[in-house]
Amino acid sequence: MMSCNTSVTRLHASSVGQAERAPVHLMPCEIEHNGPAQVSQYFTATTKDCKQEKTVSFRGRGLKGQELSCPQGYTGLVLKEINKPGSDQEDRTVKVSFVFDKLTYWNLETPPNSDDTVVMAMDWPELAEAIHGPVED
Amino acid sequence: MATKKKRAPNVENDSWVVVAADSVIDSQKHHSDPAFVRLRNPSTDAASLYMLGSGDVQLYEVKAFEEDFHSWFIGQTVQRDGRLIFVTPMDPLYLILPYLIKSGKEGKFQPVDQVVMDEEFPACSRLLSCTRSLASLHHIAEEKEAGSLKFHRYSQERTMNWLKKKVERTIVALKKRNISVGEGVKSTTYIRVKSEADNHEEDYLRYAHGLISEYISDDLSKALLSHLGLPELTSPKETEPPSKKRKLSDKPVEAEEDYTKFNSADFARKPPKKMTAAQKTLAKVDKTGMKPMSSFFSPKVKAEKK
Amino acid sequence: MDLNPFEADNSVSCQLTSEIPEVCRTEDCCLGIDEAGRGPVLGPMVYGICFCPVSRKEDLKDLKVADSKTLTEAERENLFQKLDEAKSYVGWALQILSPNTISTSMLQRTKYNLNALSHDTAIGLVQYALDSGVQLKEVYVDTVGPAEKYEEKLSKRFPGIEVTVRPKADSLFPVVSAASICAKVARDRVVKGWNFAEDLGEVDSDYGSGYPNDPKTKAWLLKYLDPVFGYPQFVRFSWSTAQTLMDSKAVTVHWDDDEEDGEKAAQRQNNRSMLSYFGASAGGNEQNLTHQTHRFFTDRRLKSLDTL
Repeated sequence: MMSCNTSVTRLHASSVGQAERAPVHLMPCEIEHNGPAQVSQYFTATTKDCKQEKTVSFRGRGLKGQELSCPQGYTGLVLKEINKPGSDQEDRTVKVSFVFDKLTYWNLETPPNSDDTVVMAMDWPELAEAIHGPVED
Repeated sequence: MATKKKRAPNVENDSWVVVAADSVIDSQKHHSDPAFVRLRNPSTDAASLYMLGSGDVQLYEVKAFEEDFHSWFIGQTVQRDGRLIFVTPMDPLYLILPYLIKSGKEGKFQPVDQVVMDEEFPACSRLLSCTRSLASLHHIAEEKEAGSLKFHRYSQERTMNWLKKKVERTIVALKKRNISVGEGVKSTTYIRVKSEADNHEEDYLRYAHGLISEYISDDLSKALLSHLGLPELTSPKETEPPSKKRKLSDKPVEAEEDYTKFNSADFARKPPKKMTAAQKTLAKVDKTGMKPMSSFFSPKVKAEKK
Repeated sequence: MDLNPFEADNSVSCQLTSEIPEVCRTEDCCLGIDEAGRGPVLGPMVYGICFCPVSRKEDLKDLKVADSKTLTEAERENLFQKLDEAKSYVGWALQILSPNTISTSMLQRTKYNLNALSHDTAIGLVQYALDSGVQLKEVYVDTVGPAEKYEEKLSKRFPGIEVTVRPKADSLFPVVSAASICAKVARDRVVKGWNFAEDLGEVDSDYGSGYPNDPKTKAWLLKYLDPVFGYPQFVRFSWSTAQTLMDSKAVTVHWDDDEEDGEKAAQRQNNRSMLSYFGASAGGNEQNLTHQTHRFFTDRRLKSLDTL
């Protein structure tokens, strides 16, 4: 865990220009898989959009969700590691593979509300600005 | 129903979902890329991940929203790692401060680039390239100029004033965002010892102090507490069920420990020295039959939320 | 029988009804209840009621309605036609429980089992008849579970109505046979013309009877298994046939209420939150035991990282 503190992870910033916009969904379960999935065919196609919430089911379980925008002044990025180095001493590089400005998060059966932790987590950038913004002399 | 499988470790993770300040990727005018670096966390003294923006002009903090049992769908893919990583602009002074304090013990004015050095975290010298660093050093240090050279010496007084402003800014944001700073535990079992309004302001102050304390050492946190005119809270030891206490750690809970990060309402505490008649009455309320602390830590947290 | 209301959204349950014959509002009536498609791993389960005046019971018998299971599909269609022609004194109502409803109910956090779901559906249909003004005096129900308890439950729920719950009621009482025909016809039609909400292109409709032991059904379930999503909503995920196939051929998915995972997670969460109050940080900096993360962060599950 405490690998070498001298190594850095470079973010290939110009890659954002080629990054596609992608819908992102935060699922209330851990899926033991990294890789392709027929999300639009199975998931998006069966999602229902009601006034207050969206509904869908995944693996036979009922989900309720809603969209959540990125805070003002913030952009959603999906970073992907390229040319993974052989050791943790070497620098790493990530590129922007997708961008998004809103995400959909899903609860297992529970209707979405403002107490949901991910909604509360979006408080962070504004609080961070208070804690880290410059103070007046 | 079929038997449940054990969770296999996620070893092949090479993708992250990030919410980043626009300036992180907005910086194509500079020719270098932003980079995640490890620096010494001023509160824990251990390595934490930060980001230096293009040309090192801006420092960012990296925090992860992480809840168990989450994954992402991203376009037509699954990402098992369900974390959401926030990259937010950070004040570099918090990271520079421990180095200045350390050198300040010698009482000498020194060139800051000789002070902000760390063998373990070589990237820390890059903090001085941040636009705001040199321009705001006067908040935490006295400055002396000799010719073209600048020398600095840590000033506790300046630092306290600077941190106090930080606390005030934070309170404004907490109020604006309507963030609940009161009840740390469920309101049904919570007994107020003070009047609403009194409690309110102190709750905000303590809460904001606790937040700022995430970026400073324990010593500085205590000093700031008294600078803000807040008494230290007594140990929550008494309210904790003895059965749980032993299981937590072999080390005894020291009374001298800093409990300032607990909000005043987090634990029923010893009544303050000066009490009004009403407060005395409240303090005498029979607490038998009320939920024990352990019930707040019982599993099924999710179910309770409903 | 107009199935459009269900087919417009086959992910949810739907009630379909005939017109209420006028005579049923004025004369004492009997009502039969039966279900179709309880066992299959595919498609909806359909609950049906059929009712007519007690005085017309014999007329119903003359239509030669019999237990739907002993009839061919064509015969059932034919009999449904006859029931429709007898609409001056025969009424019916159906509740189509979509496979998605069955899956999500049975797999709910607080499990809703199939028997409870069936009972509630039957009760709902009887209530519908009462609300529509049908003068109910006798109710006959076919059952798979223990008849006595169910009979007691229904009698209590509908005082003043004589309830008879019997296994194989559909071969004993023509009004139950009629209900069974309505239910089975609806289920067959829905399954045959299943409208896949998923974007799967042309789907092979040769899924056999839908019973797990039918080789055609098995082959279909193997063919249409998706490694991430498992199955389209046409499949009942709560059936062990589907679960077993997903366990062996699809990626593993963990939920916070999975028995083993969930318990461990709750314990971990528990320890973690206790530790975050008393010493160790929740942020992976365990070496520093005096640092406690502020609850602004722990409440929001935010933590510092030391590596990406």
